[in-house]
Amino acid sequence: MENAFLGSIRRILCLAGDLFCKITTNRLNQFTTMRRAFLGEFEEIVLLVVAACPAEAYGVTIWEDLQQQTGRSITMSAVHATLYRLEEKGFLSSTMGGATAERGGRRKRFFTLTALGVRALNDVQQVRSRLWQAIPPGKFQLIGG
Amino acid sequence: MKKQPIPPRWADWLLEVFVAPPLREDVQGDLHEVFYKRTEQEGLSKARREFIWAVLHYINPYFFKARQRTNRQSDYPSPSYLHPAMLRNYLTIALRTLAHNKAYSIINVVGLSIGLAAAMLIILYTKDEVSYDRFHTNNPNLYRITSRDITPGDQKPSYNTNTGIFQGPKFTAGTPEIQSFVRFQSGQSDIRQGNEVKSQEMFSTDPEFFQLFSFPLLSGDPKTALSRPKTVVISEDMAEKQFGTTDALGKIMFIKTEAQFEPYTVTGVAVKCPQNSSIKFDVLLPITVSKEDIARSDNWFSFFLNTFVLVRPNANIKAVEATMNRIYQTDAKNTILEMAKKFGIKSKTIYSLQPLTEMHLSTDLPVNNGLVDESRPTFSYILSGIALFVLLIACINFVNLTVARSLKRAKEIGVRKVVGGGRNQLIIQFLGESFLLCFVAFVLAIVLLLLVLPTFNQLANKALSFAYLLDVKLIAGYIGLFLVTGLLAGFYPAIVLSGFSPVQSLYSRFRFAGRNYLQRGLIVLQFSLASFLIVATLTINSQLNYLTTKSLGYDDRNLVAVNKSSLNHSEARLLKSELMKFPTIVDVAPKNRGFWGTVAKVNGEKQLSFAYETVDEMYLPLLKIPILAGRNFSPDFPSDSTQSVLVNESFVKEAGWKNPIGQEVNFFAYEIPERYKVIGVVKDYHFAALNQKIRPQLFTMKPKNDFGKAFVKIKPHTETESLRAIEQTFKKLFPINPYSYSFLDQDNLKKYESEAKWRQIMLFGAILTIFISCIGLLGLATLAAERRTKEIGIRKVLGASVSSIVQLLSSDFLRLVGFSFVLAFPAAYFAIDKWLENYPYRIEISAWTFALAALLAILIAFFTVSFQSIRAAMSNPVKSLRSE
Repeated sequence: MENAFLGSIRRILCLAGDLFCKITTNRLNQFTTMRRAFLGEFEEIVLLVVAACPAEAYGVTIWEDLQQQTGRSITMSAVHATLYRLEEKGFLSSTMGGATAERGGRRKRFFTLTALGVRALNDVQQVRSRLWQAIPPGKFQLIGG
Repeated sequence: MKKQPIPPRWADWLLEVFVAPPLREDVQGDLHEVFYKRTEQEGLSKARREFIWAVLHYINPYFFKARQRTNRQSDYPSPSYLHPAMLRNYLTIALRTLAHNKAYSIINVVGLSIGLAAAMLIILYTKDEVSYDRFHTNNPNLYRITSRDITPGDQKPSYNTNTGIFQGPKFTAGTPEIQSFVRFQSGQSDIRQGNEVKSQEMFSTDPEFFQLFSFPLLSGDPKTALSRPKTVVISEDMAEKQFGTTDALGKIMFIKTEAQFEPYTVTGVAVKCPQNSSIKFDVLLPITVSKEDIARSDNWFSFFLNTFVLVRPNANIKAVEATMNRIYQTDAKNTILEMAKKFGIKSKTIYSLQPLTEMHLSTDLPVNNGLVDESRPTFSYILSGIALFVLLIACINFVNLTVARSLKRAKEIGVRKVVGGGRNQLIIQFLGESFLLCFVAFVLAIVLLLLVLPTFNQLANKALSFAYLLDVKLIAGYIGLFLVTGLLAGFYPAIVLSGFSPVQSLYSRFRFAGRNYLQRGLIVLQFSLASFLIVATLTINSQLNYLTTKSLGYDDRNLVAVNKSSLNHSEARLLKSELMKFPTIVDVAPKNRGFWGTVAKVNGEKQLSFAYETVDEMYLPLLKIPILAGRNFSPDFPSDSTQSVLVNESFVKEAGWKNPIGQEVNFFAYEIPERYKVIGVVKDYHFAALNQKIRPQLFTMKPKNDFGKAFVKIKPHTETESLRAIEQTFKKLFPINPYSYSFLDQDNLKKYESEAKWRQIMLFGAILTIFISCIGLLGLATLAAERRTKEIGIRKVLGASVSSIVQLLSSDFLRLVGFSFVLAFPAAYFAIDKWLENYPYRIEISAWTFALAALLAILIAFFTVSFQSIRAAMSNPVKSLRSE
């Protein structure tokens, strides 16, 4: 009886927490949250590359790392579009750097992960590892992967 | 340092267009960075290809739409360009600059205001021109019946704006689309005014006149005013003159339309006709067409009045015209055949409709025969051209001076840019300044316009005033003019000034080298326009001098012309014998009035048209016209009056006679053909104005032809006594005829009034353009001298003479003025040659005209420039070199 009561309270709190979470995200990502609250595959990779970058990450470094890591040929516009989209969703934040000499004086836009971004990556990681753990041992050997 | 490779400009530009501003900088920067890297790795061409390929991927809506970037605040808020504080600053700076540079401000404002005033004046003029006859409420359904004669084999049809008594009623009866018609015939009749008899222009018209046209009546019923015979509608002016009051309804006027004065009842008093009306009447009578005239179908060929029709709205005019021509072809069928047989007329008449509103400016179908204020679109074009010239030159001054003066403002621009002024802000600032100046000029221009309007009215024969033309369109036009001028004058300087590099301008190494081409080009253009106008003015002047001083082939001095309608031969003899009693009168010779023309056959079959003059034996000697062969009419040969004629040289040439004396002229067109013998040949003289070629002319003494006037030769310097004598005699002999006289030499001068007016207008335009060009040049010369103060100082210290420095400073400008002739003179030659083609008797275009114009322009320019350069050359070098 008591258990059941506590269980329902926990569930309500969870729901409230979820709701709160949603509202905050909503406020942060006014336009896109409702449509795309999850991370796409490419987005995830871009986010990971930004996270993995030892120095300050900006368009060119991210683009180069991406190509290097994935071995795919990727257009710059795709990288830019994804970066801005991630920023709109609140997973990334950006600041303009100082004036530079090598690119006609134009400033760089440096991207860093936000807390939300970190959580999103963690979530994805958890889902993955849970799924990995759920794979029965020896299954891969059976298939011969 | 090696020159850095740059990515393709167009691709860069594409990127700027397609990527929204908040993303632009880093995207562009990233792409450039990659481009430079790849250039080093793979070479320029591959890098460029990749750059272009990459850029093309940015062309999509995501980058194009400037997304509201919610979680990123702009680093610095960008205030509006038109922040009140900035506006206040702009205004302060603008006023301060204007006050600091009074000379330039005055030059700019004066130049612009003159240009604007000229343009406004011409807008007023053209507005008046195109507003003619538009006040009728029945527009656009009012038309005038016109016709053209097409002769087979002749390229150009001959146009006829007049019609006869038939066209109106018959076309209206047969064409359902034509609602009604009004014939409008002008005539001259005598009216009795108090004790005096006056000759007055009056018009006969149909009763529907006041329904078709919108001429309001002060009193009287517009529907019935002219429906009964012996009624008259007069203008308020006329009523005032005739009765001393505009309340004239029902009063009686005595008018002599036929043989004697008859009483006419006033049935309406009309408001004065608007100034922009082709129909201006003082007296309107109902038209009377006799039964005999209606019965005679050859009246289809008698054209002497204007016929207007009111067409149903939305009628197809082409169809109406076709119907009209069908009616003409059927109704006048027999007459056409008859006429063709009798006169050998081969031409075909085609009727058409001319919109009433097109009448005033029509070249082929002008207003005439009682309709007034004939005008040509050419006048408007030439005037607009001059006004545009003047305005353009004023704008050029503005551009030139602002750009030249910008050197002084380079620092201001540099500082503004360094503290973050954008280019757009600077453009707004400088455009605003030019609009400020333009506004001052605009206000001044309106004042100027009001001042010169009376003079212009006199020149252009107009009665323009702001009052009746002021409407929304005019105001909009003026505001448009103001905006266009402000933009024209301010745009280029704003672009140039805002483009200054802040580093260069603040580093004080700012040279203003490359852009001088534009400045020079503009000076050349200015002086081209000015010298074009000088040439035009000089040419018009000498052509006018030629026209007024060329010997006409007869002596027009001390000749008084006295008009008397239908002066028959016995009356003429009586007048002469009476006048000869006075000692100051030398002699009297009667002649027909106006130009008569007719056709006769010579050499058996050849038809010749010529001026037909009825004179007596005194005419030729009185005017000192020489007789080249044969003899004059003589009282010794009584048969002269019935059997002999004299002809002029052109007649002989046209007839192809070797021995003109004794040749026969056959007046075949009369009921009974008349044949005359040529007894003498008269030397060609200009009986018409000099803008017409001398035509064949024939003199007769035929007693049946009445004279219309008498020439009275008086002794020199006896005008007062002679005129008194002539008036007395005339009033004694012809008490019921109006008396009017004129001096022949003055009449001859009047023929060239339009040329004289054009000379004045061109002179006016030329002076304006030269004046504005010169003040512009003065400003530039001042700037040039200022810029070279140090150079002049050093030159003087090293021993340069004043004259050499003046030469140094002037030669630049004078070379430009000289160069402008290269542009202006061919154009001017072409234009004046075209203009002179209108005159059969014309001056030759001489090199002297051009030389004189060149000299004039150079002198004026030199005077203007030297004004400044002498001052600069005389200045003490210590002053210019002292400060560093």
